[in-house]
Amino acid sequence: MHQLKQYQIAEALERDLGDPGHPESTMSFKRVMELDESEEFPEAEVDWLYNWKLQDYYVPENCGGKFSSFEEFVAFVRVMSRRDQTIAIAFTTMFWSFLTWMAGTDDQKKKLSQFIREEKGTMCLAYSERAHGSDLIGGDVTAKKVEGGYLLNGEKWPINRATRSGVTFVLAKTDEEEGARCLSLFMVDKRQLDPSTYYNLPKILTHGIRASDMSGIGFKDCFIPEEMRLQDEGSGLELALKGFQITRMLCAAFSHGAADTAMRTTLNFAINRVIYNKTVFDIPQPRQTLVDAFIDMLVCDCETIGAARGFHIIPEQFSVWAAVVKYFVTIKLEEVINSVYVVLGSRFYMRDEHDYGIFQKLLRDNSIISMFDGSSVVNLHALILQFRQIAKYRSRRKQKTMEGIQSRLDTIFSLEKSVPPFEPEKLGLFGRGADDVLQGLEIAWEQLQALKTEADVDADVLEKIISLTTIVLEELDAFDERIANSGFEHGHDQDPELFELAKKYCDLHAAAASVHTWIYNRTILDDFFSKGEWLVLGLYRRLRPWRSLPNLVPKAYSENVAQHLLKLHQENKMFSIVPIQLAQTETQEEKPHASAELQLQA
Amino acid sequence: MVQSDVDTPNQSVDSVQAIQNWMVNQLVEQLSLDAKNIDVTEPLTRYGLDSIDAVTIVGELEDWLEVELPSTLFWDYPTIEKSAQYLVEEFDVSAALDNAESAAPSETKAAKPEASEKSGKGWGGFWKGLGG
Repeated sequence: MHQLKQYQIAEALERDLGDPGHPESTMSFKRVMELDESEEFPEAEVDWLYNWKLQDYYVPENCGGKFSSFEEFVAFVRVMSRRDQTIAIAFTTMFWSFLTWMAGTDDQKKKLSQFIREEKGTMCLAYSERAHGSDLIGGDVTAKKVEGGYLLNGEKWPINRATRSGVTFVLAKTDEEEGARCLSLFMVDKRQLDPSTYYNLPKILTHGIRASDMSGIGFKDCFIPEEMRLQDEGSGLELALKGFQITRMLCAAFSHGAADTAMRTTLNFAINRVIYNKTVFDIPQPRQTLVDAFIDMLVCDCETIGAARGFHIIPEQFSVWAAVVKYFVTIKLEEVINSVYVVLGSRFYMRDEHDYGIFQKLLRDNSIISMFDGSSVVNLHALILQFRQIAKYRSRRKQKTMEGIQSRLDTIFSLEKSVPPFEPEKLGLFGRGADDVLQGLEIAWEQLQALKTEADVDADVLEKIISLTTIVLEELDAFDERIANSGFEHGHDQDPELFELAKKYCDLHAAAASVHTWIYNRTILDDFFSKGEWLVLGLYRRLRPWRSLPNLVPKAYSENVAQHLLKLHQENKMFSIVPIQLAQTETQEEKPHASAELQLQA
Repeated sequence: MVQSDVDTPNQSVDSVQAIQNWMVNQLVEQLSLDAKNIDVTEPLTRYGLDSIDAVTIVGELEDWLEVELPSTLFWDYPTIEKSAQYLVEEFDVSAALDNAESAAPSETKAAKPEASEKSGKGWGGFWKGLGG
């Protein structure tokens, strides 16, 4: 078991699911490929997860479940996603329950908790409509007030699990006047509806996640009782935007799982395939490609894990942080997958060869992650609108502000520290410009200087980390100045140049998150992490698109990273800053099918 | 203009007017509109501000008035007139208004950087040209 207890559930789930390379395991690559080919919903696999009681970890402790931290949640979603994103996404539509945990009455929470934990219930999110894209207020679904409740009318599409979910979170207009208060959110329980007043739309044939229940739902004068409404009339958009702050961050977990398998199956090939009398891994160019991809995975880890913990400490800042994670991590891990498939060669394209053809499936499945729950453009736009406040906040920091940031960064990034319970009521529609991760970078810079007297820190590595952190700070200053002196527009006609600036902000943010992660966990995580060579490479890669840099990265650093990558592959550990032990084939053979209780105790 | 140093019976009326003027100027500046075409009784969305813009513009108002406001201010009070009245009734904005030069509705864009430098505390001229 991992010494960090928030990773123990992920390790237990790993072990019980078994090695995905072994055809007899639950959710093995062989099995998920069959599901994909048949496009049939993964009924048995989802049922297995319910029997394992994974659903309990989607319900907060104060609502009767076992959810205690987003860090733990992200870790076990990665474990599912590395096998199959289709199943991971299907099971995880359940995390829309956070809308109720955030905004529901005690009765609504109790009802949903019971539905999830005792009735294998699931839910879906019915926001989008065929004609309206990301424009939620432009929607056509209406909820007209009648005695005792509302009459729902209209169609929601495309919706993952629309047909199979028992509870549907429906966003509908309760006010004919278009405006920010025209929407209300309903937790619609299908069991309470007259079946003749709603209908499901046919399964949509998709490029990836082909075994999903991707469909839609329509309502015709469908009566829903008043108690299905979450909070007051008119609060729908507010709840929707706050809910997205939670789910956008969690989407990163799907991408991490896919990237892990992309790297693993590519290494399965690269270390065995001999060409020109060498393995592919021993040829410099593919070796460097894999090292670079691995470095990007580690940087994404710092951004995702930091954010997962940050939710518990600074939820009010997530109008910024969730947008950074949803843009940066999902897009960067798409790039990782695209870069390693060149090493895998034409096998990446085959539907049966090489690890049952899992690569082409994950490539297809994964390409929806950066699109759903807010596309990259939506997230960059959300950042652009906040840049003036972000830059102003930074210029106004005082000693007291910095002390607050320092104390919060310490709790956010120290993985051995426990986090307080999540308080969704503290989520805010805008964070008033606060962004501790980048605005606390001067603190990190001072901490790095102080490390010069520590005997266990390699002086060369530290010097390079300091140099690169200094450049991140310079680029951040330049960013602020650019924002201060640029024109500013509201609305959706933003200059495309601003989108490039938003991408730069995300790179700087990920660089800062990596520095903080290293500082606070240097003595907690493994030797590879502590030594910090990966961080030098990570910072270098974040800055290179924006700045002409001196070549200060020794070849030895890359070589050491290559050796560590090989070691994780050989030991069958996750490609992560927290390299949990993955399921072994031997274990699977010894213990093929433990009962649900035994699995949980293990 | 606000008679900031004299406590007159009309002070709250003047405060409402000052806030309205400031907001009209924000719209003039950021949406490239003509002040003459802005009606304080019309919903802000009519001028091209969408629901998310209405959240982010609260930050500008907070900076100017030096108070913490609900981020849904313009969702619940969607016109310039209604939000200005709400602010004067619910928040102590007099100190900030005393310090800040409110811009008259007829003020031209050229006169704005000066006003913004006065109200933009802590920016040391860094933020000039942005109006607020």
